[in-house]
Amino acid sequence: MRPVISMIDRMADFFAFLGKVAILLLIASMLYEVLARYLLNAPTLWAFDISYMLNGSIFLLGAAFALKEDAHVRIDFLSQLFPRRTQQWINGLLYLLVLLPIFVAFSWVSSSKAYKAFLTQEVESVSPWAPLVWPFYGLIALGLIAFSFQFLSEGLKFVLGLSHPGEGAQKELDDETGIANTVMGDSDK
Amino acid sequence: ADVTWKMTAAIGEGSFFYQNFMERFAKNVDVVTNGRVEIKPFGAGVLAPAFKAYEAVQDGIVEAGHSTPSYLVNQDPTNAIFASFPGGMSGEATLHWLYEGGGEKMLQEFRAKEMGLHTMVVGVGTSEIMAHSNVKIETVDDLKGVKYRTSGAFAAVLKEKFGGVPTVVPGNEIYTLLQRKGVDAIEWSTPGANISEGFHEVAPYIIMPGVHQPSFVWEVFVKQDTWKEMPDDLKALVSAAAKLTTYESFTYFGDKDIKAMQDLRKTKVQFVNMKPKDSEAIRAAGRNWAQEQADKMAKDGKDRMQKVLSDYLAYQAAWSENSGYLVRDSKD
Amino acid sequence: MSLMPLYMFGLLFVLVFAGLPVSFALITTAVGFGWLMFGDVVFLQLYGALLHTASNYLLAAIPLFIFMGAVLERSGIAKRLFWALQLWMGRMPGGLALSTIAMCAIFAAASGVVGAVEIVVGLMAIPAMTKAGYKNDLIAGTICAGGSLGTIIPPSVIVVVYASIAQLSIGTLFAASIIPGLLMVAFFVLYILVRSILKPEDAPVIKIEDNDMPIGEKLKTTALALFPPLILIVLVLGSLLAGAASATEAAAVGAAGTLVLAASFKELNLEMLKGTLIVTLKITAMIMLIVTGGTMFTSIFAVHGGGSMVRDMVGVIGFGDAGVIIFFLLVVFVAGFILDWVSIVLIFIPIFTPVINATSIDPVWFAMMVLVVIQTSYLTPPMAPSIFYLRAIAPKSMTYGHMYKGVLPFVVAQGLVLLVIILFPETTTWLPSLLVGL
Ligand code: NA
Ligand code: NA
Repeated sequence: MRPVISMIDRMADFFAFLGKVAILLLIASMLYEVLARYLLNAPTLWAFDISYMLNGSIFLLGAAFALKEDAHVRIDFLSQLFPRRTQQWINGLLYLLVLLPIFVAFSWVSSSKAYKAFLTQEVESVSPWAPLVWPFYGLIALGLIAFSFQFLSEGLKFVLGLSHPGEGAQKELDDETGIANTVMGDSDK
Repeated sequence: ADVTWKMTAAIGEGSFFYQNFMERFAKNVDVVTNGRVEIKPFGAGVLAPAFKAYEAVQDGIVEAGHSTPSYLVNQDPTNAIFASFPGGMSGEATLHWLYEGGGEKMLQEFRAKEMGLHTMVVGVGTSEIMAHSNVKIETVDDLKGVKYRTSGAFAAVLKEKFGGVPTVVPGNEIYTLLQRKGVDAIEWSTPGANISEGFHEVAPYIIMPGVHQPSFVWEVFVKQDTWKEMPDDLKALVSAAAKLTTYESFTYFGDKDIKAMQDLRKTKVQFVNMKPKDSEAIRAAGRNWAQEQADKMAKDGKDRMQKVLSDYLAYQAAWSENSGYLVRDSKD
Repeated sequence: MSLMPLYMFGLLFVLVFAGLPVSFALITTAVGFGWLMFGDVVFLQLYGALLHTASNYLLAAIPLFIFMGAVLERSGIAKRLFWALQLWMGRMPGGLALSTIAMCAIFAAASGVVGAVEIVVGLMAIPAMTKAGYKNDLIAGTICAGGSLGTIIPPSVIVVVYASIAQLSIGTLFAASIIPGLLMVAFFVLYILVRSILKPEDAPVIKIEDNDMPIGEKLKTTALALFPPLILIVLVLGSLLAGAASATEAAAVGAAGTLVLAASFKELNLEMLKGTLIVTLKITAMIMLIVTGGTMFTSIFAVHGGGSMVRDMVGVIGFGDAGVIIFFLLVVFVAGFILDWVSIVLIFIPIFTPVINATSIDPVWFAMMVLVVIQTSYLTPPMAPSIFYLRAIAPKSMTYGHMYKGVLPFVVAQGLVLLVIILFPETTTWLPSLLVGL
């Protein structure tokens, strides 16, 4: 089981890397548009489509990673009262038996939409740039597939007792605290 | 009800168009069929995204959809002829072409053949305001370098023929960007619809006439199977409700437009009529654009667009040559 | 009338309280109830909601605003600013608490999400205030309330999401929220001042070692500390309000600006950039997934007749526009106990918007009231992000009791701001209208 889990986790990291590149591309392309529009008086035809496509890509490329890091907001003041193992089973079973099938279905739908868009060479409906939509649709499909796999990985981790719901959020706080501590630490030099 | 259709819109719930088209159609169907057919309208984004109404019906998510061929122009420019384009006919002539000149039949063939849909025209519009503008536009030379929020065929014509700069602006940012001069000019809709958007508060000029979009056409469509399953008497009644809605909404638009123009006249906004020869230049460029698209389609072995365009242009020519007997209630 | 819409909320809350992340609970509920209506076509239908969210141009401002805040947190800008503020305010009654609020306000105006800034500020301010002998509840309240300013002081991600749902202009909403934001700061300051003057033992005045710093040097330190956030405020808000950029463009300018600033202080390095990108990616994916889930939920809610149910309820309550406003604000306030802000906006605004549009209520004014009420959700337990953040950094001696008692006066202050907005709608409409007109 563990090799499967670690392979899925590595896939999430890889998509996250692409997502980080997409963030930088989003900043760069919007800056270019600002310069082109206000300094050169020549707005691009593509900035509008590119920016939402990049944002959508950031979202879906980061979805699996955010799940792996347990970054999704949980309201656990009640569930924290349950025994540890119970919390793990509740989340594990919901991940494996409910969310995994749901996202497999979404992966299927998005893949067929991407494939159909590729076959028909569908273009963006109202954009004057009219880009082909299959690359963006394809990215959404890939992101959803990775997301589905991540539900498998995280669900297994909970059920096997390898991780605990909500501790990712705690880890996040510790990270932030750590960073903040470094900032504080600088003041001593 | 014997038949219930969920119907998805390409416009938001509560908007002027939504009330005038969607809600009016649902109400007319109810009255005409004596409650045997129920239409449940949903605003854009509730059941399907605004631009995906056709796809939502094809996918079987909803039974019916309401949208405009304008949203399919990038997929197939034949749609531009049905939706109206720069250089196209007035709303009045469009109504005649659709219902008496065989336009609606051609649209129905087109939808059936290419998309597996049965369609009915529901909604023909009046002319739009050509622009709310920060710069005075009287001639086509004035279009040069103008950052103009527009899309579709006019965007192409503006850029290629007149050196304008078509710009994409999301719907709810138009007002602010116009106000802050992020764009020089914007086109949105008819006077009756524009006045509530308040564009005249932030831009000093209203440019007319709306040759960029002399009319517009919306349609209600269902899968062909959905249509076939319906009893014949209901088919006739629903079709009648569609036609009734088109006529009622057209006069409603016209009435609201004239009242809006009256109200706009009371504001500080300045009306600018483009020189007739320059308006004509835009119309000619628009027709050229349509012809180029038809040529391109023909080259790929698809001759439908040329057939529709020839029919449309012939109807328009006959109308413009012979409508001189009509009393026009305009000042000049 | 079908009770389906109510059952939807029932299932949603069961899943949320079982400890499932909110976005997953929204999606699961939507799929379950959607299945009843659509069968397996529900996935095609809800995919539309996902695609719609993933291709929303306005939401592209979100990662950019998050990125901006993340760079700010990781640079030394925060530390220098807090120090400079103390130089000026330290000797006033409640000086440390005032510096903390000022610091949070400035950060809120220079970035789109503040959440974690609370930690940066808290880590500096808590030890300082504890050492000076501040009462625990005042410390807790100040830090939490300061942390909540990010939502109301523009730019703010919540306004971006709100505008995209209610079809309002982001620029107008930003302009409208400036005065309520300043009012909020003023009320917080007022509370701290009054309490510190009436009960000096709650907030003893500290002795700052650099009191004797020559005025020239003091000014230089201050200028150096204030310069970076001010530049960002001018870049982002300036280009949005006076200039011409759209929100997404302004956010990109701000994101690039923070990078340049961090670099100019030699605080930019690969590690920091990586950390910033990771946080941006995670929070963006998290927010976008809630937006997706919320869109799915409201879509199915509408299919089951939720919209007409709400309209009926509003009709039953009566009292016209006032009734509508009070009812909706109450819903938001109660929801704020248990839901986070993204979910509140995503679930309720699509339900409210058609009702509001059908009345004569100014949608911008209404938006500001909702935003102020949503801000209380940061402070109201049990779901109180501000208190969660504080818990992570607070010393053992500070109990939940201190925290709950401490945030209470600030929630009251938020209520007073709401009252001012209700009584004087101009506080929200005047600035946007100033930017209008020929
Ligand atoms: Na902010
Ligand atoms: Na709360």
